[in-house]
Amino acid sequence: MKTKMITLCVNGKDHRFEAPVNRTLLQALRDDLKLTDTKYGCGTGECGGCTVLMDGKDNVCSCLTLAVEAEGRHITTVGGMTREGELHPIQIAFIELGAIQCGYCTPGMIMKTAGILADNPNPTEEEIRKGLDGNICRCTGYEKIVLAVRRASEMMDTAQTRKVGGMSA
Amino acid sequence: MNTQTYVGKSVPKLDAREKATGQAIYAADLNLPGMLYGKIVRCLDFAHAKVLKLDLSEAAKVPGVVKVLGPKDVTQKRYNSGVLDLMVPEALGEMLGDIEDQHIFTDYVRHQGDAICGIIAESEEIAEIAAQKVKVFYEALPAYLTAEESSHPDAIQFDARKPGNRAFQLPEQMFPGNGYGWGDVDAEMAKADMVFEETFTLPKVKQCQMETHSYVALLDQSGRLNCWTSTQMPKCVQPKLARLFDLPISRVNLVQTTIGGGFGVRLGMVCEPETCAMAMAVPGRPVKVQLTREEDWLASESRHPGKYWMKLGVKMDGTPVALDARFMASTGAYFTHASGVPFTTGSWLTGMYKYGAVRYKGEAYFTNQAPSGAFRGYGNPQTNFALEQIVDRACNALNIDPVEWRKKWHKGAGDDGWCIGVPYSSCALDECLDRGAKAIGWKEKRAKYANQTGVMRRGVGVSVMNHTSGAMPMLLEHTTCTIKMNEDGSAVLTLSCSDLGQGSHTVLKQIAADTLGMPMDEIHILNNMDAAGFDIGSHASRTTYVGGGAVIKACEDVKRQLIERASIRLGVDKEDLELKDRQVIARSDASKKLSVKEICHSGVYNFTNPANGETNGVPGQIQGYASHFPAHNSPPFGACFAEVEVDTETGEVKVLELVIAHDIGRAINPMAVQGQLEGGAHQALGMVLTEETRYNDMGLCRNNSFTDYKMLGPVDMPRITTILVEQPDPIAPMGLKSVGEAGPVNPVGATANAISHALGIMFTEAPITPERVLKALNP
Ligand code: FES
Ligand code: FES
Repeated sequence: MKTKMITLCVNGKDHRFEAPVNRTLLQALRDDLKLTDTKYGCGTGECGGCTVLMDGKDNVCSCLTLAVEAEGRHITTVGGMTREGELHPIQIAFIELGAIQCGYCTPGMIMKTAGILADNPNPTEEEIRKGLDGNICRCTGYEKIVLAVRRASEMMDTAQTRKVGGMSA
Repeated sequence: MNTQTYVGKSVPKLDAREKATGQAIYAADLNLPGMLYGKIVRCLDFAHAKVLKLDLSEAAKVPGVVKVLGPKDVTQKRYNSGVLDLMVPEALGEMLGDIEDQHIFTDYVRHQGDAICGIIAESEEIAEIAAQKVKVFYEALPAYLTAEESSHPDAIQFDARKPGNRAFQLPEQMFPGNGYGWGDVDAEMAKADMVFEETFTLPKVKQCQMETHSYVALLDQSGRLNCWTSTQMPKCVQPKLARLFDLPISRVNLVQTTIGGGFGVRLGMVCEPETCAMAMAVPGRPVKVQLTREEDWLASESRHPGKYWMKLGVKMDGTPVALDARFMASTGAYFTHASGVPFTTGSWLTGMYKYGAVRYKGEAYFTNQAPSGAFRGYGNPQTNFALEQIVDRACNALNIDPVEWRKKWHKGAGDDGWCIGVPYSSCALDECLDRGAKAIGWKEKRAKYANQTGVMRRGVGVSVMNHTSGAMPMLLEHTTCTIKMNEDGSAVLTLSCSDLGQGSHTVLKQIAADTLGMPMDEIHILNNMDAAGFDIGSHASRTTYVGGGAVIKACEDVKRQLIERASIRLGVDKEDLELKDRQVIARSDASKKLSVKEICHSGVYNFTNPANGETNGVPGQIQGYASHFPAHNSPPFGACFAEVEVDTETGEVKVLELVIAHDIGRAINPMAVQGQLEGGAHQALGMVLTEETRYNDMGLCRNNSFTDYKMLGPVDMPRITTILVEQPDPIAPMGLKSVGEAGPVNPVGATANAISHALGIMFTEAPITPERVLKALNP
């Protein structure tokens, strides 16, 4: 397989490495960079477990994105949501409202939420549910995840919290 | 008694922060130095075949391949990946007919996805390339996909020990006539005014835990086999691996990684045997195996599908004079849970109502599908679909309100329980029914939706259930727990209970903190399988109930020691001392007190004064211990109400609302209890509306992916109202009862009944898909 030197900017940090051109972003993150906070659930774009944020606003399934395509973009994973040990409001809402059980869907859900709220800071319940579609959770029945997204949007509204994502300097 | 400060509160999960930041470590996240990658090569083209020839030579030549292993290169021992053998006495296991019939790698394929050989390589890609080069020559055999087909006299016999491919039936020695229950069913049935008879078809439903099965194994330099796995039964998998590989248990280091959902699919071994066999072949090098989603689907267990025949006889006043039932389950390719599920399916049935007489027969047959096994609810959703619908049919025919009928005829406290001979200790089902009915507006909606004719038709339905908290006395119930008091008065709680995400570690810590009267954040939970004693594992909705009982006992042991030492030091009678605000205080004289910290500290830092030989306290580090066998199974009950809207043009069913009232006894963590009911509802609605693993005629799976296997998404899920009914159980620790396994049960029957309320048609086949609805509407 042909390889190529690529630079990925993940959570504000540049990583330069050689990768086969067919390497998915998910593989690059997990296997090459050993950033295992992004999860594999299906590898075929069906579960949303691998969702990351591009340029602070666009959600992609990293399993369907080639690593080379992600060059030059700012990639945020759940590991980049915390700043100086301080949790992001989305993380706080997920923790406090019981939106996390096994937690395997959580990294993808949190990044999906970041994308939803970047696009629409005050979504209705229906918009939240539509927005989350494509991210599967088998533990919670979505009930508390929907509540957490709602709460996160309120928290981000009132507290002058930073913008989601866009982690690079 | 200390005032309780954590029990009853919705404390966030202990590990939620790690999970929310991506720092929780699941097995596939492990990267160990020198790690190799294992690929299990599976038969994908046949569901039933003999391997005539296996040629591994080309695969072995691929650069970067370290080893290839065929069936002959690994232990020849057979095993049963289930764990029933560890839960019942040997004689009972024999009577139930459990057998070991699985091989690590096989030359006789019994289902698509059966493991043929293993490849160990320097990278995952290389292992995959090599897997493509494995040449297998098969002789295809006819595939049997249902119990009816495999039990045919001409069918090929899967296992000589199981003639007729009947893996299990209720043993004659225990249950004459191969059925259990009470009374003379035939005689009582003859007295019925009306008889309702139906055969229900249950689907093969997949757990769909989001983390696919993944492992790392390593045979280290000391000769210890290490296995990192997200099993939900660590203390069962450890001895099973020890037995399989002829090692003492002390040489199997089982490390439980964060569990990415279980729901029963990790009840026992899954691919630990294959992974460990590969690691044994490359001593000193860790081997990682991560299943793809498609592979996980083909290789791991599901809920038992099957046919459930039922006949209910009633008097005109509704009296259920007799119930006769038979569940013919397809157990799939291997034995695993062939006895457990068909057995307990009837327990929920006989445990529900006060029938005049009842007879239940449960059987399991081999088929050429992935094995059926444990799935949250363990037979209860199947019973719920059939029983609750046939009850409603009788109520409709007799013009009796289904809620009233259930209130009148359900079993309650003092009645014979799901395990015949063990009476129920408590039952809050009436309150569940009353509060649930009120919340959904039962009476009004029931009347309003009767006899609709439009395109969109609504209906409301009800369902009730019983379950258990732990499987005592049917199965072994045992949890050990140690609490070590540090010298500063903080504590380490060591146990091997699994937390699958339901939050059991959180609630166990809540219980410990309240029992010891100390803050939760000064207690650490250690879940290390070398350090921790036995726990049977997470199954039968037992962890809070049995684990909680163990934690309380161990804490009481600590308290006893604190008080004994304080008594010596203060010169006060033990009876006069109590633990309060982290001090041991005399009731009669509050000035006489010693802090817990001081007692613990002086026990560790115990110095002798050389001048007089006196010490500064009672020597010895305090450690509380419990090896706990619960006295009962304090069963929870529940009532569920569903409101649906059916589009008679498209056949689509939309669940508008679910009200789930659960008899929790006492909610240690209400938010976690709600989470169990809400998540369970997702699985229940899937089973009744959309989910089924389907196979083609050759037994090849047609929908082993999330696109083709339809689970409900966030948009499809209804509004869910949970009602936690708290009537403490008199026997249970803190009065608590279970909830986890109850989750996926009740919405099944309630939704099916709501659909038949809307349409006037009872659906005997699950899932009730739009096609089935349309077919029923336009026969
Ligand atoms: S792993 Fe990418 S969508 Fe499932
Ligand atoms: S929390 Fe387990 S899959 Fe969502």
